[in-house]
Amino acid sequence: MNVPTLIVSLYPPGVRQRWGTEMAREVAASGLRSWPDTVIGAVRLWTHPGDWPETASGQTRRVLAAALFAEAAVAALLLRAAGPPRFLVAGPGHYPVASAWLLLVLAGAALAAPLPPLRPGALWRLAAVTARTLATPALALLALYLTARSGLVDHPARPVHFLLLGCYWATLAYAGLRACALVSRIGPIAIMPGAGRLRPALFLIGAGFAIAAGQGLASAVHPTVHAGTLALSCALATLATAAVTAAHDLDSAKSAQA
Amino acid sequence: MHGNDAQLLVLTVLANGPLHGYAINTAIEELAGTRLGPGSLYGALARLEARALIEPAREAGDTQDKNRTVRITAAGREALRAQLEQMARVSRAGLRALGEAGA
Repeated sequence: MNVPTLIVSLYPPGVRQRWGTEMAREVAASGLRSWPDTVIGAVRLWTHPGDWPETASGQTRRVLAAALFAEAAVAALLLRAAGPPRFLVAGPGHYPVASAWLLLVLAGAALAAPLPPLRPGALWRLAAVTARTLATPALALLALYLTARSGLVDHPARPVHFLLLGCYWATLAYAGLRACALVSRIGPIAIMPGAGRLRPALFLIGAGFAIAAGQGLASAVHPTVHAGTLALSCALATLATAAVTAAHDLDSAKSAQA
Repeated sequence: MHGNDAQLLVLTVLANGPLHGYAINTAIEELAGTRLGPGSLYGALARLEARALIEPAREAGDTQDKNRTVRITAAGREALRAQLEQMARVSRAGLRALGEAGA
């Protein structure tokens, strides 16, 4: 895959299918100086789902639902890498409402979740697609769990330690990717969320991440500045901004259609 | 370039007739002296199409390539006219103010 094609692949599917060939040609003709503008254009379009052309029925809803779960997966990986941090978890000695952000995120995810169809045939197909999509990550996670529990790798040599660490993160990332792929694949079978469910879901997830980022920022600068917490808070704030911007854009698109 | 500027330029060149992406950018280069970056151009096209200000030009012998040719809609002409008239008002007011300041 060459660089122009790679950059164009960053765009939402509808835009890519509608304009991708021309765009790749234009990026190739304009060269290196066009790359930043093209990447920024992709970011801007991901946060403006109201602008996506639909090349298949219900495509925007399907892609947006998958993107929402991708965002949740990225946040989960970030938080797993960070600990999870003490300031985001309610418990003894912590603020009792420290986990309130998680409730908002879970409520958003529940609202955006595809619902199972009520026809037996469709339910059967849904189960088959789910099993096909999640079988490999489930096996990979099981292998990881059994390896950790076996006691064989309790005190590994340094190279083995890094290899295991790499496997661990690759497995988690793979499981996250497959979960997002599942949301996308069951689109034609399941009852996908409409704009009426996606808008509040995005707002809830955005609010959850914004609160988590706020808690992180407060903790990152007091009593001493902690670079890791600061970076985590910035990442959560970016996810919050993306979710709220997309929700707002869906609102604007609805108003424009009214 | 600001997103609204890109949309205005795209609408302006499409007012002359249907064009495809590359030809739109070439026309913009002739008009404004600079090409839009691919992100700005196709972002503007997506936004304008979503707002029904442009549409795919479907003509006889419609092929996939023809589908990528777009034309301005009646709503697009109206929006372009309103924006250009507003710009003309601002331009006249600005030039008048400059003339008075210089006098």
